[in-house]
Parts: sequence; structure tokens; C-alpha cells
Amino acid sequence: MHDCTETKEQITEFVLDGADRRPDEALLAELRACAACREEFNALNATLRVTTRLRDTAAPAESYWVGYHARLRQQVEDLAAASRAKAQRRKEKLAFSFASLRLCVRATVRVPVPVIALILAAFAVFAVLAARKPAVPSPVIVHVPVATPVVQEKPVEKILTRVVYRDRRSPARTSKRVADPSNVESTFAKSQKPNAEIPAALLGFKPTDEVKLTIIKGGSQNEK
Amino acid sequence: MTVTDSDSDLIRRAQADDLDAFCLLAERYARRIHLLAFHYCRNAQDAEDLSQDVWLKAYQAMRSFRSDSSFYTWLRRITINAFLNHRRSSLFRRNGQTTAVQLIQIDAETFEMPLESRSTSPENIYNKLLFENVVDALAELTPQQRLAFLLRHYEGMSYEEIAGAMNCSTGTVKKGVSRAIVKLRAKLSPDSDRPEALTNLANEYLGEY
Repeated sequence: MHDCTETKEQITEFVLDGADRRPDEALLAELRACAACREEFNALNATLRVTTRLRDTAAPAESYWVGYHARLRQQVEDLAAASRAKAQRRKEKLAFSFASLRLCVRATVRVPVPVIALILAAFAVFAVLAARKPAVPSPVIVHVPVATPVVQEKPVEKILTRVVYRDRRSPARTSKRVADPSNVESTFAKSQKPNAEIPAALLGFKPTDEVKLTIIKGGSQNEK
Repeated sequence: MTVTDSDSDLIRRAQADDLDAFCLLAERYARRIHLLAFHYCRNAQDAEDLSQDVWLKAYQAMRSFRSDSSFYTWLRRITINAFLNHRRSSLFRRNGQTTAVQLIQIDAETFEMPLESRSTSPENIYNKLLFENVVDALAELTPQQRLAFLLRHYEGMSYEEIAGAMNCSTGTVKKGVSRAIVKLRAKLSPDSDRPEALTNLANEYLGEY
């Protein structure tokens, strides 16, 4: 299928390449087949041929080149002279720096004797002062008071638990028990008496004045 | 100095600060460089300034030439860079004065044919008219498009080479060249290439003087 747009792009390239490019058979076939493409080819070919011819005719005359090269030579000589001058200045600057340095090293300056003596004396004093100072600074010990922790003894609160059992027996038995004179004496009274049954480890034990009494109700362990 | 001095001999001597050798190299290639500058600037004085600027840059960079490419390829690269820098500075001389103007704003009136073409023969008048048409067509392009066309058509560089030298894409170069050709074709119709059409125009032109 012939596409004029695509063929025109090929024509442009073909014309620009000129004689360097071998004619493409496919392109030639397209040109033979399509009058519009052929016309485009002729137009572009003619246009570029004209510009090429003008390029050649636009060259200046030979007399122009004599002056052109003379001016160019002059400019190049000026540039070379400027470059040489710049290099020379750089060299001179470098030489001046070296000369200044050499002058400083080799210079002989006349100085009055009293001034020299004064300078030497000042130097000696300074040297002595410097020698007095320790070369290495001694470490400085700084006493920092450290607060020692004070342990305060707190009174330990003792909790005594006394379990009181209520007697749930019948009154008859209770009265019988009361009748028994050996049972009339309370447990507290018994405890106040010296008893041979009290272990030796509990002898002299005196309960505190304040007694905390905890009554445990119910069967559960955690329920109070 | 012999006529048969090869480029490499001249280059070697020019790199050793031989001014004569450099000027000989300039004589060999100055016409091509000047022609490019002439078509690019469309002004004889600007073309001379630009082409001589190219040679001064080449002289300063002479020691950096490593013979990796031909001397002309290296020189053309300097030329393209000088053109692009010249375009950026946009300093063009018009009517004897240096004025900052856009290159595209220069019309064909500032363009001058070379001195040898200033005779009044019909052939030269014909060429002058044709040339003015070409200049008109090129003046309607951007400097980049114009340079792309000149490098493609006059220098025979490939699109890839031009794109590399101008630091732009191949598509941009193709577009520029294509646009240049369209403009040129509009200005120089196929009929214009027929001698009789323009000869009549030239005779009219002559009749005015």
C-alpha cells in the first residue's frame, strides 16, 4: 500500500544523501507509480541543487583571502604575544616570590646592640619562666563530697492473731463443765500461772498491750 | 617549507608553537569554515569575525588535538561550539555597529554577496536573487535548525553526528532539517530553478539601474 507521507520522508533522505546513496529500488518504484511523490522528489532535488550551487558561488574572491589570512595571522600573533606575555608575567611573579624568600633567608639586617641585648634578655626571662612550669600539667584532684546513705530503723509492727473458738456444746454439758471446779478457771488465768507444761522457749514471753484481733468467718481461705 | 607538507606535519609543528605551520593549516581549511559561518550568520563581517574566532580557539587548543579524528572533524567541532556560543551571546554587527539582536530577527537586507559576485551580469544578478531567496528561507529558521541543515546538507554529517555535536536529540535534528527543506522549497520552487524564469527577473532587476 502506497503511503505518500512515508515516501516523502524517504525522498528527503535520498535527496540529502545525494550521490553518496545508491538509489533504492523500492523507492524508485514508488516514484514511478505516484505522480505526487515524483513531483515532490523533483522539487526537493531542485531546491537542494540550487542551494548547493549557491554555496559554491557564495565563496569570496581570491583577493579576499589574502586580506583574511593577513588579519588572521595578525590576530594569532597578537594572541601568541599575549600568551607569551602572560607566561612571562607568571614566571616573573614566581621568580619574585622566590627572590623574596631568598632575600628573607640571606638578609643581613643591622640592629643596635642594646636592642639585641634587650631582646636576648627578654628571651632568657621567658625561657626561665617557661622552664619553671611543669612540662606536663599534673592531674588536679577534686574532692567531691559524697552523701552516704543513712539507714533508719523503722519499728516493726508485730501482729498477733488470736483465734477464739466459741463453745457450741449444749448448756447441760456447759453447766456440767462449770460444775467441775477444775474447769472454772479461765484459759487466761491458766496462762498466768506458772505451768510446768509451758515450753522453756516461751517462758518470759509477754504479749504486747495492743492486740489486733482478726475474726475469720466462713470456710473460704480468702474470705475475711 | 614544501607544498607537500601533510596535515600531520603541520599539526605537529603547530603544536610546537610554529605560527607559520598553523597559518598554513588555516589556509587549507579556512574556506570551508568561513563558508559555514557565512551561511550561518548571513553577514560577511560576522562570518569573518566568527570564522577567525574559530581559528583563534583552535590555536589555543592546538596542543589538545590528539589525532583521534581528522583535523577537520576536530576543527568542525570547535566551529559548531563557537557558533552555538555566538548564538548565545547574540552579538551581531548590523550596519557597521555591534548591536545585540536575535539572530532570527536579521532580515535579508543585512546580507551581502561576496565582492566578486557584485557585477551586473545577468548570471550574477540571477544568482543574487536566488541567493537572497535562500537567505530568506534560512532566516525564517531558528539558529539551531539552520545549523542542523548546514551540517547535514553542506557538511554531509549524519543525524547522529549532528545531534552529538549540537548536544540535542536526533529527532530535533531531523525536525530542523526537514523544516529547513520545507522553507527552502517554498522559497525556491522548482520553477525558480529554470533559468528563464529568474533571468527575466534579473533583467527586470537590471532595468532598474
